[in-house]
Amino acid sequence: MTLDRSTLAPGLRIPPFSRVGNFDNWNRFAAANYEFAGHHMDDEIGRHEGFGAAIGMAPLIFAYMHDMLRDWVGPEGGSVASVQFKLRAPFLRNRILTASGVVTGVAPDGDRLRVDLDVWAEDDQGARLVEGSAAVALL
Amino acid sequence: MGGVLEQTLITDEMRAAVGKTYRVAGSYPIAASDIRRWAMAVYFPARPPPLYWDEEHAKTTRWGGIVAPEEFNPFAWMRAYPGWGETYPDLWPEPHLGIEPPPTRANIVTEIGATYTGTRMRPGDVIRSELALNSYQERRGRLGLMLFTETKDRWFNQHGELIRTFCQTFIRYGEREEALFTRYAGKSGA
Repeated sequence: MTLDRSTLAPGLRIPPFSRVGNFDNWNRFAAANYEFAGHHMDDEIGRHEGFGAAIGMAPLIFAYMHDMLRDWVGPEGGSVASVQFKLRAPFLRNRILTASGVVTGVAPDGDRLRVDLDVWAEDDQGARLVEGSAAVALL
Repeated sequence: MGGVLEQTLITDEMRAAVGKTYRVAGSYPIAASDIRRWAMAVYFPARPPPLYWDEEHAKTTRWGGIVAPEEFNPFAWMRAYPGWGETYPDLWPEPHLGIEPPPTRANIVTEIGATYTGTRMRPGDVIRSELALNSYQERRGRLGLMLFTETKDRWFNQHGELIRTFCQTFIRYGEREEALFTRYAGKSGA
């Protein structure tokens, strides 16, 4: 679902983006990003490190946040201007990550419209995985 | 927290190095297949938008051709220079700057962020990374003295256009890794 500019205002919740934390997803990203650390691929290693299971990659969560924003903006609606977040809890295997965002500001920026958002990701057990902010530049 | 820290992990050498670029790296030319694979991986199990893999479609868009997703990493699977190098092993600035690293034994990424100029990465682009030490900060926590190191990585294409600025903050601890991971893992409820 792409954005309706007439609804742009602080407080608008954008469509969330969800992915299951499993090796199907993580191993594909490991191959794309050359990120083959044991704790991303093996529950035993994750447990040895104190996580309880294998964990998803921070760069993949970063990419999911971009996916959420791009799905909302649409392929020709604009581009991602910024994403930043703090990591709060690990993304454990078999949990479901949901990235969410809420508009905090809308303002002209040259020939574009800048939309600022608070963004975060939680898992299906209620753990807050990351939280931060983002911006998109609408064309 | 008030008062003066009784010890510090930040030496005068480290303080003097803040702001310095400590590694310049170059990517191999970006291939359309690199972009396609990245897009497939970050959208899986959904099909990625055709802007990232369908040349005929991409030509009809405002971008005029295939572009990479903003967070695409052209340095995965080896960089072109300064020689053999992978994505993460050479993170720490101190060895590159010829200064003694702090006596820490564990580390964790605590914050990441990127700002993009709107100039997109495209097939054929060669990206240059200029990685700098942005700041050192210290705080005392439950696990002892924590050193926050922020790095700033600016990427330019072969035309000298800035593509993005990427910042990461790592916490380095003097504690054993097990204690560090147990503290972080405990927040998951696992």
